[in-house]
Amino acid sequence: MELLLQQIANGLSLGMAYALVALGLTLVFGVLHVVNFAHGEFYMLGALVTVLVVKSLGLPYIVALLVAIVLVSAVAWVMDIVAVSPVARKPGGDQIVLVSTYAAGLIIVETVLAAIGPTPIAVSGFSGIVHFGSVVLTMHRVFMFAAGIVMICGLYMLFARTNFGRSLRAVAQSDYAAKVVGIDVERIKTLTFVLAGGIAGLAGGLIAPIITFNATMGLHAGIHAFVVVVIGSMGSIPGAVVCGLSLGMIESVLSIFLGQHVAATLIYSLLLVTLFVRPQGLFQGALR
Amino acid sequence: MKTYKKLVAGALLASALVSQAVAQEAVKLGVIFPTRTIIGEQAVHGAELAAKQINDAGGILDGRMVELIVYDSNFSAVDGVSAAQRLLTQDGVKYILGEISSTVAFAVIPVVESEEALAMLAMPKHPDVTNSGYENVFRLNSTSQIDAASFGKYLTETVKPEKVAVLVQNDDIGLTSLEQMKQLFGEKVVFSDIFDVKQADFSALATNVRASGADLVCVTAANPEQSGGVFRSMADVGYSPKRCLLPGYLNNDLPDVAGAAAEGVFSQDVYIDTIDSELNNTFVKEYLAAQGKVPGKPEVLGFETVWIVAKAIDAAGSYDDVSKVAKVIRDTQWESPRGKLRFNEIGQALTEKLYNTVVKDGRVVRAD
Repeated sequence: MELLLQQIANGLSLGMAYALVALGLTLVFGVLHVVNFAHGEFYMLGALVTVLVVKSLGLPYIVALLVAIVLVSAVAWVMDIVAVSPVARKPGGDQIVLVSTYAAGLIIVETVLAAIGPTPIAVSGFSGIVHFGSVVLTMHRVFMFAAGIVMICGLYMLFARTNFGRSLRAVAQSDYAAKVVGIDVERIKTLTFVLAGGIAGLAGGLIAPIITFNATMGLHAGIHAFVVVVIGSMGSIPGAVVCGLSLGMIESVLSIFLGQHVAATLIYSLLLVTLFVRPQGLFQGALR
Repeated sequence: MKTYKKLVAGALLASALVSQAVAQEAVKLGVIFPTRTIIGEQAVHGAELAAKQINDAGGILDGRMVELIVYDSNFSAVDGVSAAQRLLTQDGVKYILGEISSTVAFAVIPVVESEEALAMLAMPKHPDVTNSGYENVFRLNSTSQIDAASFGKYLTETVKPEKVAVLVQNDDIGLTSLEQMKQLFGEKVVFSDIFDVKQADFSALATNVRASGADLVCVTAANPEQSGGVFRSMADVGYSPKRCLLPGYLNNDLPDVAGAAAEGVFSQDVYIDTIDSELNNTFVKEYLAAQGKVPGKPEVLGFETVWIVAKAIDAAGSYDDVSKVAKVIRDTQWESPRGKLRFNEIGQALTEKLYNTVVKDGRVVRAD
C-alpha cells in the first residue's frame, strides 16, 4: 500500500510535468489550428534560460523562472513572425506550418548545441523533503505541482473572465465569425502563440531541477506532450490537464507490476487505442 | 634550343611544385562519433588533441600534417554508414576512427571492408565487434566480457552484496550487462528494470528499487544525465545503498549532474586521469588547457584512435598500404596516456589493468 501511494504521488508529479508541456501545444492547436512541432524546443529553452540565469548570473530560482517566461515568449513571438503567421495564411498553410515549425525547432536545437554543447547542466530548485504520511516527495516536486495548479487556474480565469480570453475562444470557434464581430484575429493568434511559448518556458524552468537540462530534452518532451494532447483531444485545455495527470499516474503505478520500460511503452499503446476507438480524443471541443 | 631549355626548366619547376604539394598534402583521417552527445564531443576533443600533438611535433610521413574529417554518426546505424561511405568514397580517406555504439560499429564494418579500409573503433563494447572476420578492424575499449570478469570479481570478493538490484538502459550494452549481472549473482538479484535511453524522470524507478531492499544497486547508463537522474531520484526517496555504475561510464560529469547524490558511486575503468606517466601528465595538462576540464575515458579513447593510427601510418611509411599499417598496429606495443597496450589477433586492445574508481568530494578518483 505504501508503495502504491508513493507511486501515485510520483505519478501526479510526473503527470503535471506532462500536462505543463502539453498545455501550450493544445492551446496553439485550439486557436491557430496548427501543430507547433517546435513546442518541445520552447520547453527546452525555458530550462536553458533558468539554468543560465541561476548558474551564470547567480540570481534566485524564482527570478530565473520569470526571465524564462519573458525570453521564451519573445522567441515564440519571433517564431510566429518568421515561421507561423506568414505560412499559416497561405492555402494549405496549416499543414505547411508542421514543416516550418519543425525546421525552426531544428534551428533552435542546433543553435543551442553549437553555443552550449551537449553537456547536461544541473540546477537546484527548492531543496528539502516533504512527508505526507509514508509518502515522500521533494520540495521542488511539490512546488512544481502547486505552480502547475496555479497556472491552470490562471489560464481558466484568463479564458473565462477577460476580453482576451473571450476573443481567444471566439477565434478558436471561427476565424470568420470573430472577424465579423470586430476581433483582430491575427493579433489574437499571435498573442496565443506567445502565451503558449511562455507556458512552455515556465514548464521547462519548473522541470529543469528535476531532470537536468540538455539540449535535446525538448524532443522527447514534445513527443510525450503530443501523445497527451491527442488523447485529451487536440485543442482541449481540460483534456491536456486530465490526460497529462492520468498518464503520469498510469505510468508510475504500472511500473510496480510491469517494469519501467513496459509502463512507458503502454502510454504509446493508449495513443493507438484512442485513435482507433475515439479519434477525436476524450475531451473534444472542451476549449470551445 | 632556347625553347627546349624553357620547356625543361618549366617541367622541372612544375615537378618541384607538384612534389612539394604532395609533401604538404595532409594525411586525412575520418572520425565518426555521435558528436552532439556529451560523450561523443568529449571523444572528438581527445582525437583533436592527438592530431594537434602530432602536428606540433612535425607531423608524419616526412612532415605531412594530420587532418581530421569529423562526421556525426548520431548513435544511428543509418547515419553511421552514411558518414563512413562519405568519408571513404567522397573524402578519399582510408581510415575510419571512433564511434561509441556497437550497433553503429556492426553496420559500418562491412562498408570499411568493401573499401579495403581500416577501422580503429574507440568505444563499442560488444564482444563480436572484433569478430567480423575482417582483419583490419581494431577496438580500443574493453569489452563487456572483459569488464564483467574484472568487475564481477571485485563485486563478489570485495563488495559482497546480499541483495542486488540492476537498472539498465534499453540498448545492447544495457541488456548485455543485465544478463551478466544475473549470471554473476543469480538469486541475489532481487530487482531489475530497463529504462528508455531518453527517459528523464526516474522517481517511479527509484521508488520501486527502494522497495526491493537491495543493498547494492548497479546502473548501466551511457549518459550522465540518466545515471545522475537515477542516483538523484534514489536520494530523493531517502534510499542510499551501495551504488555502482557498470565499468566505463563513471566520469566527472556524474558528480556535476547528480551533486551529493553521486558521492560513493563506484566503478572500474581502463583510464583515470591521475595515472602518473609522462605521456598522461602531458595529455591531462594540454586537455585541461584546451577544454578547461580534466579528461576521462572518452577523451583518452578518442585520443588513442588518432595517436595510434597516425603513428602506425608513419611507421609503415605509407598511407595507402592499409594492410601494412594494420600489421604495424598489431605488432607494436603502444604507449598511451592509460599505459601500455597491444592488440591481440582479432584486433582487441589489451590493457594492463582496470582501475577501481569512486566519486569522492565531487570528483572521480582511484578507489585503491
